[in-house]
Amino acid sequence: MQYALLAYAPAEDTDRATRPIPGTLAALLDRPNITGWARLHAEESATTLRNDEGRMLLTDGPFIDSKEYLAGLFLIEADNLDGALTIAEELLQETRPGTAIEVRPILDGRFRGA
Amino acid sequence: MALDAVFRDQWGRVLATLVGILGDIELAEEAAAEAFAIAVERWPRDGEPANPTGWLITTARNRAIDHLRRQQVLADKAKLLARDLETGPQPAEALMEDAAIIPDERLELTFTCCHPALALEAQVALSLRTLGGLSTDEIALAFLVPFETMSKRLTRAKHKIRDAGIPFAVPPDHQLPDRLAAVLAVVYLIFNQGWGGGRVDLAAEAIHLGRALADLMPDEPEVLALLALMLLHDARKAARLRDGQIVPLDDQDRTLWDTQQIDEGRALLQWAMARGRTGPYLVQAAIADLYLHEPRDWRQIADLYQTLARQTRSPIVEMNRAIAVAEIDGPEAGLAILDRLDLDHYRYFHSTRAELLRRAGRDGEAHHAYRRALDLAQTEPEQRFLADRLAETTPSVRREPGCAST
Repeated sequence: MQYALLAYAPAEDTDRATRPIPGTLAALLDRPNITGWARLHAEESATTLRNDEGRMLLTDGPFIDSKEYLAGLFLIEADNLDGALTIAEELLQETRPGTAIEVRPILDGRFRGA
Repeated sequence: MALDAVFRDQWGRVLATLVGILGDIELAEEAAAEAFAIAVERWPRDGEPANPTGWLITTARNRAIDHLRRQQVLADKAKLLARDLETGPQPAEALMEDAAIIPDERLELTFTCCHPALALEAQVALSLRTLGGLSTDEIALAFLVPFETMSKRLTRAKHKIRDAGIPFAVPPDHQLPDRLAAVLAVVYLIFNQGWGGGRVDLAAEAIHLGRALADLMPDEPEVLALLALMLLHDARKAARLRDGQIVPLDDQDRTLWDTQQIDEGRALLQWAMARGRTGPYLVQAAIADLYLHEPRDWRQIADLYQTLARQTRSPIVEMNRAIAVAEIDGPEAGLAILDRLDLDHYRYFHSTRAELLRRAGRDGEAHHAYRRALDLAQTEPEQRFLADRLAETTPSVRREPGCAST
């Protein structure tokens, strides 16, 4: 099965764009069961688009305003939820403290990579 | 009636095998329900088949094949059925001879239903439905929620299992202790609900599940210990209420205790103890056993509560230790432990505290504590018991038994 792992991270003081991906995390990302991943710019960079009865409304900022923000996502391949949870746990070890990972089974999709 | 008992016994077994074949609980449940309905119609007329389990599984499997054929989504949905789909449904008798080799997959189903990715209330409901064979109606009644609510809860859980890919498997060794603890917690939760006095005998259901687990995992001390614990508690059921009033342990009519069940519980406890490790259910079962002995060995009980408190870090266990300590060193010693606990929301904390205060001669404070306990009480017998105690500790109007106040 395919799963999307959504990583929610707490706010940070330094610019994440200037920070390299830690080596231990980079090693994990090279594994074949991780089929895709994306690290996202900080939430200030977000723009949200809504459809208001045919009118496109733009707002500055993320759709869900919360203490933690969506910092990145991983696409993985696992036999079942237990397999997905094992991978999520390994990834979580390598992310900043306070990060949470939401595991979502993928219905269908395609990811060409960046 | 006899058929009912057969069905209750067979349901979990048949359903588990079907989930194994079909890979989907909802589909398996529908097919099993159809097979049982056909059996209700045919067995009284044609006689019960030699192998009821095999008959039910084959019949249910055939219904599922029909279903899938109609839906035309068969190929990837059930690979194992591929061959059968080509040849079509088989007569129910076909599987009969294989009866002995039909794998028992109830354990797989148990771990699926008690997977920590499901909400606890969903785990409980699902276990009662799939393994216990209770109807949605009965489960709704037991938990005092509307049928619709329970039905939605069950459907949601089944969909999550399917969509999220919760495995139908016994967890690997490194996960087993945690996952087994989750399974046992579900069973014990069901048992404790049963003591609340609802309309469905959940305590009996929990024991039923506990027996199945002990049957499937005869080498797990905690599984045996949980069953022992439940049996020892449940054995006093008949003596626990008299005319709708709660009877404290020491006032209970011991002739009403189920000695056969106590013997069975003790034998299981011995067995579990012989396997070495002392998990929390083993300690609790040992305590439950000590409570049945006369005179009571409060020192050993207090020691065991201490062990249990270390294992579980539960303030409720500390509260129980306070009761034992009060028996050894007097009520003030027990109260000293209670004063350190943060259990203001817990109804039995207030009734326990009230009882010790009463024994310490602090009637005014006891009265106040009984009032708190009564405010939090949930069942009628509890309320009656506490109301009586409240009246006894009313400081100004001391009443003698049988003497009506004006």
